[in-house]
Amino acid sequence: MRKSDRKPDDEATSRRRMLGLLGGTATVALAGCADEEDPEDGDIEDEDPEDGDDEEGTAERTNADKAQAAWERAVDNPLPEDEGLRQDAYVEMEEAVRDDAVLVPIYHGFTELFWYDYVDVPLTGALGDHWQQHNNTQVDGQDELNLINSTFDELDPIMSTDTASSRVITQIYENLSQFPNGVPEVENQLLDEFEVSEDGTTWTFTIRDDATFHDGGDVTADDVKYSWRRSVESPNTERRGFTLNQPVGLGIDVEMDDDGPVPDSLAVEVIDDQTLEIELVGPNPDVLDVIAYSSFAVIPEGYVGDIDGYDGEVSHQEFTTEVANGTGPFELDEFNADEDVRVVRNDDYYGDVADVEALNWEIIENDDAIWTYALEQNADIFEIPTPFYDQDAVDADTDDRNREVGTYGPAGGLNEEVNYVGISELSTYYFGFNAENVDAPVRQAVAYVLDKQQVVDEVFAGRGTPAFSFLPPGIWPTGADGYDAFVDDYPYSRGESDLESAQEVLADAGYTADDPAELTLTTYEDVAFETAGELVRDLLSGSGADIDLDVSQFSVLQNRGEDGDLEMYTLGWIWSWPAAPYGSFQLEPRNTRTEGMPGETNGFYLNWHTELEEEQ
Amino acid sequence: MTRWEYFIKRVLLTIPVLFLVLSFLFVMLRMGPIDPVAARLGPEADGTDAELMRERLGLNDPLWEQYTDFVMSFLTFDFGQSWVVQAERDILDIVISSAPATIWLGFWAILLPLFIGIPLGFYAGLNPNSFGDYTASFGGILWQALPNFWLCVLALAALRRTRDGGGPFGFDWYTFGPDFTARSISITGTPDLDWISTTDLLFVPVPYVADWTALAIDTKLILPAALILGSASMAAELRIGRTAMLETINSNFVETAKAKGLTNRVIVWKHIFRNSLIPLLPVITSEAFLLIGGSVIVEQIFNINGLGRIFFQSITQGDLPMAGALLFIFTLIILFLNILQDFLYTVIDPRVGYEK
Repeated sequence: MRKSDRKPDDEATSRRRMLGLLGGTATVALAGCADEEDPEDGDIEDEDPEDGDDEEGTAERTNADKAQAAWERAVDNPLPEDEGLRQDAYVEMEEAVRDDAVLVPIYHGFTELFWYDYVDVPLTGALGDHWQQHNNTQVDGQDELNLINSTFDELDPIMSTDTASSRVITQIYENLSQFPNGVPEVENQLLDEFEVSEDGTTWTFTIRDDATFHDGGDVTADDVKYSWRRSVESPNTERRGFTLNQPVGLGIDVEMDDDGPVPDSLAVEVIDDQTLEIELVGPNPDVLDVIAYSSFAVIPEGYVGDIDGYDGEVSHQEFTTEVANGTGPFELDEFNADEDVRVVRNDDYYGDVADVEALNWEIIENDDAIWTYALEQNADIFEIPTPFYDQDAVDADTDDRNREVGTYGPAGGLNEEVNYVGISELSTYYFGFNAENVDAPVRQAVAYVLDKQQVVDEVFAGRGTPAFSFLPPGIWPTGADGYDAFVDDYPYSRGESDLESAQEVLADAGYTADDPAELTLTTYEDVAFETAGELVRDLLSGSGADIDLDVSQFSVLQNRGEDGDLEMYTLGWIWSWPAAPYGSFQLEPRNTRTEGMPGETNGFYLNWHTELEEEQ
Repeated sequence: MTRWEYFIKRVLLTIPVLFLVLSFLFVMLRMGPIDPVAARLGPEADGTDAELMRERLGLNDPLWEQYTDFVMSFLTFDFGQSWVVQAERDILDIVISSAPATIWLGFWAILLPLFIGIPLGFYAGLNPNSFGDYTASFGGILWQALPNFWLCVLALAALRRTRDGGGPFGFDWYTFGPDFTARSISITGTPDLDWISTTDLLFVPVPYVADWTALAIDTKLILPAALILGSASMAAELRIGRTAMLETINSNFVETAKAKGLTNRVIVWKHIFRNSLIPLLPVITSEAFLLIGGSVIVEQIFNINGLGRIFFQSITQGDLPMAGALLFIFTLIILFLNILQDFLYTVIDPRVGYEK
């Protein structure tokens, strides 16, 4: 009933394109179906909003309708057995976004790690090296592992929003679940087992009984509850949303009043020393993925007194930079902000006790200094700054996780061959369009002329993955084959600039060189976005669309986005856990209404809801 | 007006300057385009999380309240806590922990030009239009024209290549002097400065060098950076030194001295040298301005965790109280140096200052 005839047939595709050419405001064609489906009906929970559409065929729906329906279908069916249905729904959203070109992906981030031959380190996965615990890393001939990190300023897990602090926090603190080495497959960490109630809203976690904190104390359910309460009630938290929101987060129930969450009202109940139960506001298929995020890390109950009912053993300022007490394979030794960090082995670790005695991170921001430090073998695992990078020196094959694994060098100042892994990250950088301000044909013309490979080559010396979808290939809902099929069907240019099609689609919509569509592209200061913008502008000028480039501050771009002032803009999204909805929620047409931002809605600045038939 | 009245007037004049600076800082930092909340939370910021932080940082208070808070706390050196760069840490703490590296860098950056630039300039002035003069003057112009950031990158690349005897004639910067290769020390990085100790001499702590090897290491670490940082002022001192020398050498009193039958030695060292120092004094004190600005880029490239780098970070990341505090401190230093310079000037050269 749900899965059949989802894919649009050819007729539907051509119809939709025709609607698109009319500027997405084909009221006549839509009138019939608007009668049939009262928009209010779509919100009634016990009725699948799709049913009405299925009966009369998909031809009259706009892409926005299609995306809205797909999102609702995914959210309304959160139980584990509906996995397949949700996956298809997320792909369908992608198709709608693609066909409507309301968001044109440019590239996915690509991380490359290099390490000397005397180091033996597990390969990093798509989530990045900041998820990697180094207790299984070996270094020949030295007792310590030396690394490079960027600047960061906090070791409090609920304040950590960047990868630099995560690299260190991951060694010290642990969560109930984890993504070992950053490979996007969730595994238990402090969790022993879990149970889910029939309706998917009550989760019972049993935590392992052999884990201890660095000060020797046992890990109990009370510690977990305290830690999770901090992520909600502490004034220091920067990730409250991850604990409370749904579907973008865990969605634990809590009482709110005017001052925010009521102290100790978070629906986490301690059953016994090893067991706790959480009550969610609705079923959530991604619970285990979400609780692997660092803001859910477990610290001893009462360690910091920044929530009601605790005085704290240490002050919050001490906790941020000076002391730490977690369960991880390493203990904090010294943190000199902006200079270096050192963690030493936890010999009582319940898992594999680390081989190396300590990890040292030198904090370096400058490319020249990073490269100098790496060449001196003062760093054992490192990244190569782009100015010193030579793509021809890479000799690598793709492994079963879609990573490039092999060797690099000798090249540049590097006199020896080093090990290499290249990982396509879970991040997407894109052109977005405010659908209210920019017509579909213009958006599609941009998609036609944008040569993503060229952007990657020119800006990153080839270190990026051209993006054809918003969801990165690493978490594509229907797997690698599904992703390949999606790319094969990609209607716009792949690896070239299809100027002819762009001109055609513009001419059909009545835009010519003499009477062009005019739009402003707003980017923030970022060389990749500026290059991509210039490329598209140069290609489209004189063929029916004049793009004006405007570079602004990041926050200005955000403010203008929320005001609905943007026409075409650039931004990126990085996945904090590998789940499709943590990303796709921003493409739900109703959630892209800029009038409700910030607060009521939190999608991309697309105003895509204006193309829903209920708005026509 | 006596000398002291003049001096007090100078000191009093700095008060309105200070208020102007404070107000300017406030307007620039708080009403400029940088949004600290966005800078702090990144592109994934959630509306409610952002609001929470906005409230916590006091950005929702009325502007005049923010202004009076700002002025009052700065005047009492209560800079509060950093917002972004080292969030929640006391700014005074950060400044105190990162100042020694910059002072160490600045010390060498002032010392090197003094002992290279001025002698070279005097030599060129004493031997005008000779080959040596042309070489020194041309070198000075070239040296001043080379931008610091470019010199830094070049120097680092060159030094990096000398590793394992890769330099010309097998020169190896790493093993030259204290051995960096054997100690696994990078040629970039922050000097530890833990060779300095204090001992109580009649209940007064007196600093002394406790570890000469560590001192050598820290000196070698800072030398390339200091040489580059001081390069511009070195060239300036060379050129002004040369001009001053030439001017003095041709003045009447030198001729008189010559006619009087004084030896060249006495004329040069007793009369010419001292008079030539007068125009050099403001050049030397004003070097501090250059050092503060220049250390931003030099510290960044040589990975030195000093005030310059912290300042750069706080500006680019929208850490308003941090950037403001540093600017305020820099302003104080410059005001102080200005007063000191005027003071020294009036003492050294009686013709300046108190006669209108």
